[in-house]
Amino acid sequence: MESIVFGIGITALAGALATVAGAAENTESDIGSQGDPNSQVQLAPQMGYIHRIFNKAVAGEPPAYGLWIALGAGIAWAFMAMQINPILAIVLGSGLAVFVQGVYATTAYLGRTASLAKFGQPVYVDILKSMTTVTMAHAFVAIFTTVTLCHLINAALGHPFPLPLLGIVWGIALGAAGSATGNPFYGKERQYQNQKFGAGVPIAASGNIVRYAEAGERNSLDNGWFSAKLGGPASGVCFGLIVFLELWRTVLFEQVGAGWGAIIIGIIIILVFTVIDRYIEVWARKNYGPYQKPTEEASS
Amino acid sequence: MTVKVEKIEGGIPHTTIMVAGLIASVVCIYLTYINVLTGTQLFSFFGGLGTVAALVWGSHTIKHLCSYGIGTGVPSAGMIAFGSGVIAMLFATKYGIAAPVVAVVLAAVIGLILGYVANNVLNMRIPVMIQSLVEMAIIGALVLMGYAAMMTGSFEFTSLTTGNVVILGLSLPSYQASFLGGALIATAFMLGAIAIQHPFNACLGPNWTQDRMLMLAAECGFLSMITAAVMSMPLIQMSAALVSLFVAIIGWFYTYSKYIELSQRDAAAWLDSKPIPEVEGQ
Repeated sequence: MESIVFGIGITALAGALATVAGAAENTESDIGSQGDPNSQVQLAPQMGYIHRIFNKAVAGEPPAYGLWIALGAGIAWAFMAMQINPILAIVLGSGLAVFVQGVYATTAYLGRTASLAKFGQPVYVDILKSMTTVTMAHAFVAIFTTVTLCHLINAALGHPFPLPLLGIVWGIALGAAGSATGNPFYGKERQYQNQKFGAGVPIAASGNIVRYAEAGERNSLDNGWFSAKLGGPASGVCFGLIVFLELWRTVLFEQVGAGWGAIIIGIIIILVFTVIDRYIEVWARKNYGPYQKPTEEASS
Repeated sequence: MTVKVEKIEGGIPHTTIMVAGLIASVVCIYLTYINVLTGTQLFSFFGGLGTVAALVWGSHTIKHLCSYGIGTGVPSAGMIAFGSGVIAMLFATKYGIAAPVVAVVLAAVIGLILGYVANNVLNMRIPVMIQSLVEMAIIGALVLMGYAAMMTGSFEFTSLTTGNVVILGLSLPSYQASFLGGALIATAFMLGAIAIQHPFNACLGPNWTQDRMLMLAAECGFLSMITAAVMSMPLIQMSAALVSLFVAIIGWFYTYSKYIELSQRDAAAWLDSKPIPEVEGQ
């Protein structure tokens, strides 16, 4: 009984860490225009819309975060193998991983922008300096929390995988959660605030992203501010739920039926979420209806 | 899509880069064998240099493959390179001194099979697909073997699976504290897979230039080597790890500053705190 209480405590702590990680990850990737919103940022200068948005396409978020977390975990593992205190080891590992992330971010921005020279997109050094540091700070939070939760899973819950392997698994999961949940807030909402709500993005509007702010010109910090309000927390809840439910079912039901208990509960959780998702989809269709063709008065 | 949408104009031909990359990488990995001959681990950094050579070659292979319009598939090319390479690399480590050569041959076979499946079964029909996947598998195997040689001082299976744990001053052999047992190979996998796709992914566009992309590839290689040197600290002697770290930092600093210079050369303008320039017709 005591071990189950301990396990649930660790599960709750890991879930909380994962929530922070998801929020930081999504804000980081939105400031860097990573993931699917990147295509419009990349396209804009080619359509004649020169912008001051940070464009750091290292890879999709899942592979990129697979690397940052696996790297943080690998270096933390190495320091722990040298008998260094785990907390210090994780901080050092995350710090080095963030250094790598920052270097990748600068090279991605410089490379992408220099290759768009034909369309007159300049390299903004101030953007490079101010955005890279902010993404590095957010990435540090995301990497530190995720490596810590991997360490908790490994050391406190006794997961057989070594730390770097857990890092790669949870890193990809973190990137996927942020990419799937948080990106619409930036890519479909923030970039196209000048389009009619719910109109989609017609071909003619491709690349016509919002480039001017309430005052002055918009940069990616404004986008980070916007997506930190809804996109970040949504990603956090998503990743936190993934980690929490995954550990919860393992801690509570692993003893049932020689491990089959946890698998069956996992399948039930998937089914419950499928029903919830379907309900939300039907509810949204009923309330907002399918996309309507513009009526006569709108087209005239 | 099988239409070649981007041409590679001028610069070093792909065959030259391929041959140079293959030879440099295999020779560098073999140079780590001096460790065994001299009884030290100081020459482990040659493994890291081998990965840099292979990554430079790999970035150009991706450019070659992706010039057929597979724009969004750039990161996935890195994944398939290492996914197919890791099989060949792990199997080859069983062959002692012949390991790098066995890895190249085996990876070529795996790449050939994957290329055949992609082109003829999945009907992608991309002319350079088979050749590129063969190259990618070889690069994946060589890069992983380079990291293994760098972090453990040897490319043989026994040294990949045994590490040392110091308990109360006693050094005990342990599987848990080894390159494979500690799953450092997972980190090496991601380090290589992102480093190989990043140069082309970052430099793609109408003003792509070959020297800038290859410089970025070397920069990514040395950057990965810095972190690999840190991770090698518990597995090899501290002096050898510090030599690797020193070589990696020098190489990284040189290539990074060169890359910034090249970007400055190619960019339309290099502005600091300036507004969006007025474009005609707006």
